Amino acid sequence: MEPAIEIRDLRKSYGDVQALDGVDLTVPRGSFFGLLGPNGAGKTTFINVLVGLVRKSGGEARVFGHDVEDDYREARDSIGLAPQEFNVDRFFPISEVLEHKAGYHGIPRERAAERAEEVLKRVGIYDKRDTRFDWLSGGMKRRFMLARALITEPDLLILDEPTAGVDVQLRHELWDTIVDLNQRGTTILLTTHYIEEAERLCDEVAILDSGRVLDVASPEELMDRGTDDVVIQLRDEPTAVPDFTAHDDRIESVDLDGTRLVVTARQGGLVAPDVVSLLDEGGHEIVDLEIQRTSLEEVFVEMTRADEDGRATPEVASR
Amino acid sequence: MSVDTTGFLALLRREILRFLRRPRNTFLPPFITNVLYFSVFGVILGERIDQIAGVPYILFILPGLVVLGAISNAFENTSFNIFHGRWNRYIEEVLTSPLSYGTMVGAYVLAAAIRGAIVGTLIALIGAFFTDVGVVRPLYLVAFGVVITALFASLGVVAGLWADDFDDLTMLNQFILRPLVFFGGVFYSLNELPAAVQQVSLLNPMIYMVNGVRYGFLGVSEVDPNASLAVLAGLTVVVLAIDVALFRRGYGLAE
Repeated sequence: MEPAIEIRDLRKSYGDVQALDGVDLTVPRGSFFGLLGPNGAGKTTFINVLVGLVRKSGGEARVFGHDVEDDYREARDSIGLAPQEFNVDRFFPISEVLEHKAGYHGIPRERAAERAEEVLKRVGIYDKRDTRFDWLSGGMKRRFMLARALITEPDLLILDEPTAGVDVQLRHELWDTIVDLNQRGTTILLTTHYIEEAERLCDEVAILDSGRVLDVASPEELMDRGTDDVVIQLRDEPTAVPDFTAHDDRIESVDLDGTRLVVTARQGGLVAPDVVSLLDEGGHEIVDLEIQRTSLEEVFVEMTRADEDGRATPEVASR
Repeated sequence: MSVDTTGFLALLRREILRFLRRPRNTFLPPFITNVLYFSVFGVILGERIDQIAGVPYILFILPGLVVLGAISNAFENTSFNIFHGRWNRYIEEVLTSPLSYGTMVGAYVLAAAIRGAIVGTLIALIGAFFTDVGVVRPLYLVAFGVVITALFASLGVVAGLWADDFDDLTMLNQFILRPLVFFGGVFYSLNELPAAVQQVSLLNPMIYMVNGVRYGFLGVSEVDPNASLAVLAGLTVVVLAIDVALFRRGYGLAE
């Protein structure tokens, strides 16, 4: 079966600026896929190529096997997009905006009206159905963006920063809605600045920086590349501690401060039992133990910073 | 109904509702303007002017006023709606849909042509309050009505895609459209101009539209109505093809 999104060597340049610089990416059907990257990494450009708001400069982009330019109608029909910027028709009440959008996708009027009612109820703004977009609160506007993306029952739902500027409660509600959709088979492509969002929701994430994909992996795999802290509280201040690093090359450093021992290691959760048994063998009594997992955010910052350094060097050298 | 037809009708309906729901912006201004035109040019001035081309002055200017109202409203509808949609980005609701580029253009143009036709009819009805209006060649009137509203609606698409600012649209209307209309034989007969100026005037496409519609109403025309109709229809097809090509290229729409 064709993947939901298949991208080969995708390029987009604006003059000298390479917004997308040879992106390769496959988003499997049914997955919950995250696209992470700093501002200006090319996330929105990438999405806009898929829906036809940006014309690619080179490479291939397919949605469920349909080329986004040659078979643009099939590709666009399968996508529901909730963009970051509000691009809503402000002349009509929101229920009519939804009916129009459904209509463009070939859904007959009666069915479109039913669908509009369903999605407005689903995102919790049905009582605002006769209101124009401008008169909705910020949170309701975000809810509406999701409703409009859902009106056409898309197989691929693209959410560009769907929870930007919304409160915690609404963020969780929106998460519940999209997780539910994903469980029913909708492929989700999510871009976000809130790394926690990706960590919590995505099966797989791609890290995008300066128009290139740095890595594609599950959040867990990425987090395994960062270091965790195993923090151990000992009853008595030891005179010496075992040489942990000799036992396990995942351990990067050991820091003793009075009775507080901090072992910094990759995959801290797997390392911790060995650390405990070594301490036990050495006759040290442990009163407390905590594993501070690295966050995806730390790994992300590390990766994008390393990429920036990597790119900065040749530039400096050429001067 | 096929998916394509449903999509086309959805966009057409939206575009029609947009002007029907704000009659104070779309129908009231041409109503007031044309009541003034007929009162001042037709009645007050017209009584001091001899017949032109064998008809009273007020009847002579009526077809021109109908053309003026119809084409400027058709032009404004597409140019403004497309530009405004780009400005506020809601045109993306259409652009990210599976509508074909031809369908998008078709719906925008037809809605605008309908607005032009409604305003044209409104002006003829206002004229009927001031003088006896007959339609000598109804088929020609309908044919010219369809072609000129479609032509200006299609030109409005280009303008709406091209404009970077609201001022650009105002400029097109004030500095190009209006002079062409005023020198297009709405208020005077070509025969009253010196021969050289007459020749130059024949380069103004408005002459053919005004005379075509005049032929429909009065059965008189200063240029051959069949040739006019053929040229204008050909021009409309060309501009429509340009519209579709611009949508396909994403001119003014996609980066």
